[in-house]
Amino acid sequence: MLETLRLIFKEHMEYLKQIPGLALTDIRKDVRGAGFGWIWLFVKPAIYILVFWFALEIGLRAGKTTGGDGPFMLWLAAGLFPWFFMQTMINTGSNVYSRYSYLVNKLHFPVSVISTFYTLAQLLVNMALVGIVVVVCLVTGLNRSIYLLQVPVIYLVMFLFWTLFSLMTSPLSALSKDFANLMKVLSTPLFWLSGIIFNVRGLDIPILQTILAFDPVASFATAFRDAIYYQQWVWESPDLYLPFVFVFALTAVCALYFFHRTRKDIADVL
Amino acid sequence: MSSKELSKLPEPVIIRDEDASHDIAISFDHVSKFYKLYSSDRARLAGLFSRKVKYKTRRASDDLSFQIKRGESVAFLGNNGAGKSTALKMITGVCYPTHGTVEVHGRVSALLELSAGFDRKLTGRENIAFRGKLWGLSKEEIAELEPAIIDFAELGDYIDQPMRTYSSGMRARLGFAFASSIKPDILVVDEALSVGDKTFKKKCLKRVRELLKGEDVTVLFVTHSLSSAKQFCQRGIVLEKGRNIYEGPIDDAVAFYESRD
Repeated sequence: MLETLRLIFKEHMEYLKQIPGLALTDIRKDVRGAGFGWIWLFVKPAIYILVFWFALEIGLRAGKTTGGDGPFMLWLAAGLFPWFFMQTMINTGSNVYSRYSYLVNKLHFPVSVISTFYTLAQLLVNMALVGIVVVVCLVTGLNRSIYLLQVPVIYLVMFLFWTLFSLMTSPLSALSKDFANLMKVLSTPLFWLSGIIFNVRGLDIPILQTILAFDPVASFATAFRDAIYYQQWVWESPDLYLPFVFVFALTAVCALYFFHRTRKDIADVL
Repeated sequence: MSSKELSKLPEPVIIRDEDASHDIAISFDHVSKFYKLYSSDRARLAGLFSRKVKYKTRRASDDLSFQIKRGESVAFLGNNGAGKSTALKMITGVCYPTHGTVEVHGRVSALLELSAGFDRKLTGRENIAFRGKLWGLSKEEIAELEPAIIDFAELGDYIDQPMRTYSSGMRARLGFAFASSIKPDILVVDEALSVGDKTFKKKCLKRVRELLKGEDVTVLFVTHSLSSAKQFCQRGIVLEKGRNIYEGPIDDAVAFYESRD
């Protein structure tokens, strides 16, 4: 397994210079074919947040349940925007070799790097989105605190975690469509269960909070809210974030294991 | 051989570097490649988690050995299913041998199965830039090569259209133009020339000949067109059921291959 880790490192060092360019090409691939190309990347989040704001704050009057005193819209954006990244990673990032089959079976290209540049591409788009939120916070004075410095750090952890996630699930999805299907099925339930539209800390049943602490989607959404909305450090709530350390380590081990087992078979089955 | 016996054989060895001064360009030493065939989708799923799940194996390469020296041009001859494409894929590095030693010295530019590794959503021009980047070319180098590639591929205004709108001939032309323009040490051409019309075929053969004149380019060619193999290959290797059954000067190899039918 250590050998696999070394191999992945070696492949990444060889292609380090190309990775940003590959990520930009991936974004370009998504905006291709539409006259308003780049705008579409931001239309979906904009519409979703308006709809959720209307349904939750106006319709269900959930505005008071955030447990903080900033505007509900900010609370919503701080959780919903990172979710869009995670949703793409669960849906497409878990099956990245079918998106780039020609890199796997037509060209000599290190397959582990595909997960990395795809994750980076999605992350860059998402950082632009959350970047807008941060700028709005700074300009309007909603949040000019030092806690905002956590945002880039959370992005770094997100990048590592979801790259590993993609490295773990993509070979499985390539070898058996069951995994691709499972991920597609899981994505919507994860949205409703992971505290994207409710406050994890507000749950009355402590055991549920503990269970959700093992859900990486909930961890990331809550971490963004701590930095942007609640204005506190993540280490102030060890009960919510320590389980994530375990989840991260487990994902890393599984990613290496499955990648090692399946790496040489991927090109044969695509 | 059962899957149990297979797992006892020694691990494959792959040696791959960019040393284009090495006398030997490619060497296969007792190389075997087995494809795993599971009886059903469910068995394949189970096979991911347990090594005990049984599968049949199909041998695409079976104890295959040969050597290709730098600057040689070699044709692989053989019927469908003889293991030509699998051998080329192992040389290119997109698939892995199950056993044996594969040695490749120098950078390989390959044209595998026509589509040649292009992204169908991107335009021809973007694909040139994309592939150029993967090959390790700088922006300036790509800009320098681009006009000649577009000109050779005869794509005209189509170069700025997404590649999904291309005909198979257009894709193959761009593929050949790119693969032969980036100054590879080893050029692998798999059937690509068979889709072009006569004029384009001639143009390709001319390009291959030019490449071969240049000192150290090694060309590997898989084709069913024996006449074009004869035209510019020095040596032929005849494959059957994944084995090397004949190796020699191209005329002899073609004669041997024809006598097998």
